[in-house]
Amino acid sequence: MADPATFAEQAMPFAGQLYSGAMRMTRNPADAEDLLQETMLRGFRGFESFTEGTNLRAWLFRIMTNLYINRYRAKQRQPVLSDIDDVESMYLYRHLGDLDAVFASRSAEDQLIDMFPDDEVKAALEELPEIYRLPVLLADVQGFHYREIAEMLDIPIGTVMSRLHRGRKRMQQALYEYAMARGLTTAPSADTPREARSNDA
Amino acid sequence: MPDCEETLRELDSFLDDELSEAGHDAIRQHLGGCPDCLGAFDFHAELKAVIAEKCQRDEMPSGLLSRLEQCLESEGLPSAAPVDDRTV
Repeated sequence: MADPATFAEQAMPFAGQLYSGAMRMTRNPADAEDLLQETMLRGFRGFESFTEGTNLRAWLFRIMTNLYINRYRAKQRQPVLSDIDDVESMYLYRHLGDLDAVFASRSAEDQLIDMFPDDEVKAALEELPEIYRLPVLLADVQGFHYREIAEMLDIPIGTVMSRLHRGRKRMQQALYEYAMARGLTTAPSADTPREARSNDA
Repeated sequence: MPDCEETLRELDSFLDDELSEAGHDAIRQHLGGCPDCLGAFDFHAELKAVIAEKCQRDEMPSGLLSRLEQCLESEGLPSAAPVDDRTV
């Protein structure tokens, strides 16, 4: 049984990660702060049910995920499953050649970190329908295991895996589309070094 | 040893570290002799790292940590060590 008096000391170091998670969920700073605050309050009030020595970060994310789902789910648009099923697997990888052509870059694969600005990666994640966004956020950004995500979302592990797979391929397609749009609108010429255009990010 | 199709089917589980040790080793063995699959796995490992890094970078609104502390204190939590917003 955890001592409530130690809650702030133990939980506050996770505030930054929780805030980023809340931003990806709610997609705006005001709601993210509300969600984070409510998460901390619930955590504090229920801290006696936390087992010392288990994963506090996972416990807090579970509280936040549940709060988010209960509070915001009704507002979410419904996902169109068929749209995502039409996207091929490893979408970005299979289309790297197109990006190479647009960016006149010989080794796009080595420059992934430069190829996609923070805002585009965040947007690609945030635009996913909620049922895909949460598994991708919890697995790819927060690094939780399938078992933990299944518990947080109260769905079977097989469902976590299929939603992750679909969410990732849709996200890859979005990243590809952003990069193509950016590349095409800045009309790169063969003699423009990539560095010179990096300010676009 | 798994073939290319079987290997690519395990791409997610492998990169998410969700395979058994034996399953993980079998995939590694295939990757060791297959540059095509290795290229795909490398790419997705890097993409996963890029997504994780870029989606974690959010500046907290100024004063957020103090407001959180105050909120917890008003619930009766004894004041913890002061948190300096500037260090975040």
